[in-house]
Amino acid sequence: MNAGSPIVLSEASAAQVAQPSGLTRTQHAPSGGTVIGRSSTESRPGKARTLKRDRPDREPGLKRANFGHGPGLPTLLLLPQFLILVFFFFIPSLRALMQSVLLSDPFGNNVQFVWFDNFKALFANGEYRQSIITTLWFTVAQNVITLAVGVVLAFATDRVVRGRSVYRTVILLPYAIAPAIAGILWAFLFNPVVGPLAHMLHALGIGWDPNRNPSDALWLVIMAASWKHICYNYIFLAVGLLAVPASLMEAAAVDGAGPIRRFFLIALPMLGPTVFFLAVMNFIYGFFETFAIIDAVTHGGPAGATNILVYKVYVDGFVNLDLGSSAAQSVLLMSFALICTLLQFRYFDHKVNYGV
Amino acid sequence: MNRKTAFIAALFGVLAFAAPAQAARVEVQWWHAMSGVLGDRLNELVEKFNASQDKYTVVAVAKGNYDEVTNGVIAAYRAKRPPEMVQIAERGYMTMLLSGAIVPVQELMDQKGYKIDWPDFIKPVASFWSYKGRMSAMPFNSSTPIFWYNKEHFRKAGFDKPADTWQELEAQLYAIKAKGVSECGSVLPGDFYWSLLENYSAINNQPYGTLANGFDGLGTEFVYNKTKVVSQVARLKKWLDDGVLQIAGQGFSPEQLFTSGRCSTFVNSTASHGNIERNAKIEWGATFLPHENDINPPLNSTIGGGAIWVLKGHTPERYDAVAAFLDFVAQPETQVWWHGVTGYVPATNKAYGLARERGYYKDHPTREIAVLQLSRGTPNENSRGFRFGNFVQTMLAQRTEVEAVFTGQKQPQQAMDDAVKRGNEILRQFEKLNAGKDTEADGKPK
Repeated sequence: MNAGSPIVLSEASAAQVAQPSGLTRTQHAPSGGTVIGRSSTESRPGKARTLKRDRPDREPGLKRANFGHGPGLPTLLLLPQFLILVFFFFIPSLRALMQSVLLSDPFGNNVQFVWFDNFKALFANGEYRQSIITTLWFTVAQNVITLAVGVVLAFATDRVVRGRSVYRTVILLPYAIAPAIAGILWAFLFNPVVGPLAHMLHALGIGWDPNRNPSDALWLVIMAASWKHICYNYIFLAVGLLAVPASLMEAAAVDGAGPIRRFFLIALPMLGPTVFFLAVMNFIYGFFETFAIIDAVTHGGPAGATNILVYKVYVDGFVNLDLGSSAAQSVLLMSFALICTLLQFRYFDHKVNYGV
Repeated sequence: MNRKTAFIAALFGVLAFAAPAQAARVEVQWWHAMSGVLGDRLNELVEKFNASQDKYTVVAVAKGNYDEVTNGVIAAYRAKRPPEMVQIAERGYMTMLLSGAIVPVQELMDQKGYKIDWPDFIKPVASFWSYKGRMSAMPFNSSTPIFWYNKEHFRKAGFDKPADTWQELEAQLYAIKAKGVSECGSVLPGDFYWSLLENYSAINNQPYGTLANGFDGLGTEFVYNKTKVVSQVARLKKWLDDGVLQIAGQGFSPEQLFTSGRCSTFVNSTASHGNIERNAKIEWGATFLPHENDINPPLNSTIGGGAIWVLKGHTPERYDAVAAFLDFVAQPETQVWWHGVTGYVPATNKAYGLARERGYYKDHPTREIAVLQLSRGTPNENSRGFRFGNFVQTMLAQRTEVEAVFTGQKQPQQAMDDAVKRGNEILRQFEKLNAGKDTEADGKPK
């Protein structure tokens, strides 16, 4: 997958979700009035939300005002992004769609049209179904760990008085390390034969061996992938926490709420939009961007235990040269990601409080 | 004004004079997958060729590992800008052969009037790279797995050298561990499917697939779930469970576990001579791969490594350059040099004879093992090599199943049955794609 796709996914889903989300809103009723009643300054942090909920005719001035006449300037401004999308997303996606219904040799000299055989073969394939389950485990676990650790570290930022910038830098460092390097690092540290951390585990009486124990291997890649992504979560959460009014926290403290209570009852609800955004981003990260870590840490093994969908797309396409199947898998992977994102918006979006 | 014109004219004159001199050297590209010591040696080889004549320049381009080279050449071919030559691993043979993108090497050499002594190529090498008795690619880096061992460990445990059969070797490795000489009797090679399953099958005269391991047609099916391969997998699993065999895992190469003196033995390609000579801090030796005690005499092993393929779509002048270079590669002198500096086997009997004559093997006895192992006996249907389409894909499916045995998820028989079933589905896909393409056996009348 190219780097453009996650962006597109989130945008596309945001756009598509607008309609159903609005419907839910009216079914669940009461808040319609509040939205209309809100002034534009109040609703600024949740701008996307406002656009979704309000009918276009409610803000006529905003829509037309600043672009002068004719389509020239807007087109010009949209062009760079549009070109990037065309060349790095739409054309490759179209090629993938076409390739997914073909059986062809890698050099493209011998091509047969096979309808949906590639898809049928995938669903009949136990390995592929196993890969879906592995991917779900992997992304959900990675998501939960990343968010949980990220929230704790962000909340702790306030408590670190001395050396706060060092604290932040250390947390942010992993983001500067290339995924493949991070993967090799983890693979080495936890290598059961030579890895120092693996030896520590052995000394503790844990029979750690990711080469022969599938769940050890899966945990290893989950930890590596989470470690790499905690910093991304941390940045957003730390900034999100800055936006929580100090007065609220102080008032709660005066009322006798301890730090843990303050965290769960005040900070966390107010972080809602950030957490939701990060959950979506983490899913996309887990689906698409963890390829290098898998490749460096386990090669998808042992016995396919860490063979997540995006890695399988790579292996089938670039190692096995089975382009039809690989293309079909990438089409399916894209639909899974889209469905996941849509579901998240559908079920969690209206529970998030954008008002603060 | 006049002077200026004269100057410009002179300049053009010089350019006109210089241009043909430059254009005289025809430049061709060769994409390859050699890195480290091997990559340096390959560059030396190319420099030697370029210095040996003044008509052609070969440009060697390292494109990563074999997979990356393959992908690179596919992308380049699809973009209609392929290199003239590319080095492809043995497993990609059928894909390249039936791709419609190549010029068979023997055809090119005939057409360009080079007389190469094709029958002189060592048998398993020649049979692997030829189709209908004619060479499709120029054998370049041919290797075969051999058995490396730590002399000191064997001596300490009271053995002269590793045993010839798997049964006795097992006893030795267990003794080495029991006597506390070493923690790890052997380390599992990264390409164990090649050395410990495929070559094992050939050496022990077991069929791997029907239709002479695929040499007689695309309808071939795997049968290794009904042969000694199953008990071989069970043996590896037992060794792993007993701690006699170790997996190096990611982030660390198996070779390092051997060269550092941690593991007593290691089955690996003869091409690792360069690395082991440079890195080993131990007193190492090498010998033939073991065979089963009820198989005597053992057959030849099969080759691995790569060959140089010539791609379609270039001008005749460039093919002149390609042919000249391939002729250079096939020369006994070049072969002997390459054999000596890398550990790959010499591709021709002449080159092997030359190395012997010069007493090369007196100083480097382990370098001869691969040649002797490859050329012992008469290759039969089981040992000639493997000709399966999508061979990388079937191998990866097999590797996954073997790993399922190692993790304890499957019994060896079950795993090999599943591997064969998956492999056969992949073979049928290849057969369907290439239906109608003639793949009768080498030289046999249809």
